[in-house]
Amino acid sequence: MTAFAALAPPALHAPAMAALVDISSPKGAPWEFLILFATLLLGPVLFKRAGVPGIIGLLLGGYVIGPHGLNLIGSGNATLPDLGQLGLLYLMFVAGVELDLNLLRVHRRSTVAFGLLTFALPMTLGTIVGLALGWETEAALLLGSLLASHTLITYPTVREAGLASDPAVATAVGSTVLTDTLALIVLAGVAGSVGGGRSGVEVAVQIAVGLIVLIAFSLLVLPRLAALAFRLLGAERSVRYIVAITAFLSAATVAELFGIEGIVGAFFAGLALNRLVPNEGQLMDRIEFFGGAVFIPVFLVSVGLILNHAVMVQGQTLELAGLFILACLGGKALAALLSGRLLGFSRPQATLLFSLSSAQAAATLAATVIGFQLGLFDSSVVNAVLVVILVSVLASTFTAIRASARMPAHDHGPRPLGRRVVVGIGDPELAQGALTTALGLARADGGVVRPVLVVPESAPFAPHAARERLARIAAAIGVDTLPTTIVDRSVMHGALRAAAAEEATLVLVSEPPHEQDGVAVHEHPRHDHATAHEHPRQDRATAHEHPRQDGAAARVASGPKPHAGHPHTPPADTPHTPPVGIVRGRETLWVDAPQDSCYSR
Amino acid sequence: MLLVLAGALSACGGASGLGAAGRFTPRTPYTLTVATAQVPDPGFWEGTVAHPTGGFEYGLARALASRFGLSRVAVVEVPFKQLTAGNLRGADLALSDITVTKQRAEHVDFSESYLDAPPAILVRPGTEVPDVHAAQALSWAVQDGTTLQEALAEAIEPAAPAQVLEHQREVLLALRVGRARAVMLDLPVALAYAREAPRTYAVAAQLPSEAVLAAALPKGSENLEALDSAIRAFKADGTIERLGQEWLHTDLQDGRDEEVPALRTDE
Repeated sequence: MTAFAALAPPALHAPAMAALVDISSPKGAPWEFLILFATLLLGPVLFKRAGVPGIIGLLLGGYVIGPHGLNLIGSGNATLPDLGQLGLLYLMFVAGVELDLNLLRVHRRSTVAFGLLTFALPMTLGTIVGLALGWETEAALLLGSLLASHTLITYPTVREAGLASDPAVATAVGSTVLTDTLALIVLAGVAGSVGGGRSGVEVAVQIAVGLIVLIAFSLLVLPRLAALAFRLLGAERSVRYIVAITAFLSAATVAELFGIEGIVGAFFAGLALNRLVPNEGQLMDRIEFFGGAVFIPVFLVSVGLILNHAVMVQGQTLELAGLFILACLGGKALAALLSGRLLGFSRPQATLLFSLSSAQAAATLAATVIGFQLGLFDSSVVNAVLVVILVSVLASTFTAIRASARMPAHDHGPRPLGRRVVVGIGDPELAQGALTTALGLARADGGVVRPVLVVPESAPFAPHAARERLARIAAAIGVDTLPTTIVDRSVMHGALRAAAAEEATLVLVSEPPHEQDGVAVHEHPRHDHATAHEHPRQDRATAHEHPRQDGAAARVASGPKPHAGHPHTPPADTPHTPPVGIVRGRETLWVDAPQDSCYSR
Repeated sequence: MLLVLAGALSACGGASGLGAAGRFTPRTPYTLTVATAQVPDPGFWEGTVAHPTGGFEYGLARALASRFGLSRVAVVEVPFKQLTAGNLRGADLALSDITVTKQRAEHVDFSESYLDAPPAILVRPGTEVPDVHAAQALSWAVQDGTTLQEALAEAIEPAAPAQVLEHQREVLLALRVGRARAVMLDLPVALAYAREAPRTYAVAAQLPSEAVLAAALPKGSENLEALDSAIRAFKADGTIERLGQEWLHTDLQDGRDEEVPALRTDE
């Protein structure tokens, strides 16, 4: 009996209702999508309320609706696995694009040392476990590599604790590039060697050539094509997003042309577009939004379909899981311990290294699914790895919270100069120089440019056309943020007000010379804690002394300039004035903020 | 660390030696015993039961035996309805164009699918089936106990009752002698017949469907994991595609043949 018939009045019995209304059991695409999206909605919400990461909710949600659960989405369904495949590529693209390559550069030595250790030890232990279990060499190597990668699941926890700039945290974050790249290279080799009956040399040559072509395509061709597309296609949000999707799909396709798994290409595409897609930019916001809302959760749910309670609770699966956990967490802990001693980190810092590098999720899941699709792993291995993911996520979260509590606070560590550059613009036609300078600094520091159209209080308020014009100019240069508008007494004041709100690391102002009244000019950007009256140049060149007419401007242009990676350390309790520059063509005048600006309160 | 791991490994006797992709244990040592409904079955089984000479499913059986380290393939013939009822007559698995359904899954365990198999309309050359109305006007024959019988009733709804016959060979005979003007078969099977005898058969249309073919194992078989892994491996390394091109003569990238028109059934 259908629900409708059950609710019918007693006078209308079921056959009569059936004659009037034909209601069938739900089926077809709308029903299956409803089930899927209900799972995406409820899975993370329910688990997060219980203090368990949402990823676990999605995996278990997939199990509940899948063939081994309620069978609402049966084993013959092709749509969800196909969507999951796209989600898998998306996941690896996001893993590459959101990595902070700046940290890799700044902490090169410690990153390489820890990265190699935290890859090599679990890789070795995992491979030993596989071989000892009597597995084929390819399966054992793949097991080692998937346990050797890691996902920065606990990074938000550590960042919220004000430890993002701690050298240990930066080292662990930077090492992710290394471990995931190495793990994916092993995956490429293993996948290439399975089937086909080719010799080891043939496989090695094929993979080597493929990787060279892929890296050349990803790192040389793709960023240029993407930058060109961004410039030519403008600031349209959906267009920029589609360019990013097209970019990682093209890299995945190039990878697969050489028999390398598409996720390797997607990851390299993410690394390639890393500089073009700043973490605080709008495009990244969109990438994360769609990825976090749909694509990646769909992938996780599709993995959950493989979960089988009958397999998971088998002694064999739990034994496998125990061995994997020992190899993975043991190797990661050993790497953190050794690196801590080698690099001179304190014990809480070494614990942070462990907590950040022990969580298994994205790359692990990706490699496991690939191993399953290649027929290297059966479902007991997949279920065992899912247990590893669950345990590692919980262990890393727990240790991150404990270690963070034991660390001294680093609420406002040095931030690179180009991390967040506010550009105040009065006339869009004069904006190009300031935006170009800002973009160069921001890209080098993995930062973002925020153009602000400042409308003077005295001017008629009609900013729409000017903002549109500014948006087009900014997009053509490659700025990945839509301009905002602010009304203030001058462009300088407006820019500083916006900078205070944005916690800017640098302020550039593009304005005609006559608007500089009230500012002091000097030769290099002020990034220390000095107040205006302490600054030695204040007495020498102030705006009311007409600095551009007394030769100061010429000295400014040849004086020290801000550079990428230049630390900017604001105090924790007061809004600190970021370096302020006035850009006019190719010249930049470094000035003090006016005494009556919002920073002077 | 290594000592701890070594101790754990020695304690984990149950997981060792199984292989990462599962272990296949044949009922008869060194032999993969495969049940199928009829030999020959053009494109899928060639030769005889005692001496099969080729075909997609025979090739698949040989590839499975090779992967599992078994030296020979033995074939037993079992009526289709018995296969789907779970009676494999002692075979390790059945390869017999079996479409996966929930009802059948109550009696057998299905492996990963190895072919998509939407229902297709097989006719004599010259018979046109441009739309569902034309299909309804034809006289039909279909094999009993198959998903095709259900597809015919639900998607076509023939004007006259279809002839329901026990064996596939009887269905084809009805078409050849003119007792039926159209029969319903799985697309790969229909394509194989049309290719073998193009003057006798033609594939007029395919129906939209998510039907797939898979191997059937006795309910609760411990060989399922190993068989699943093997079929996934064959999909990944191109074995399935190669067998499809060799024996079914069609590009089976997604199991469908783009040259066969799809019949709209939702009008």
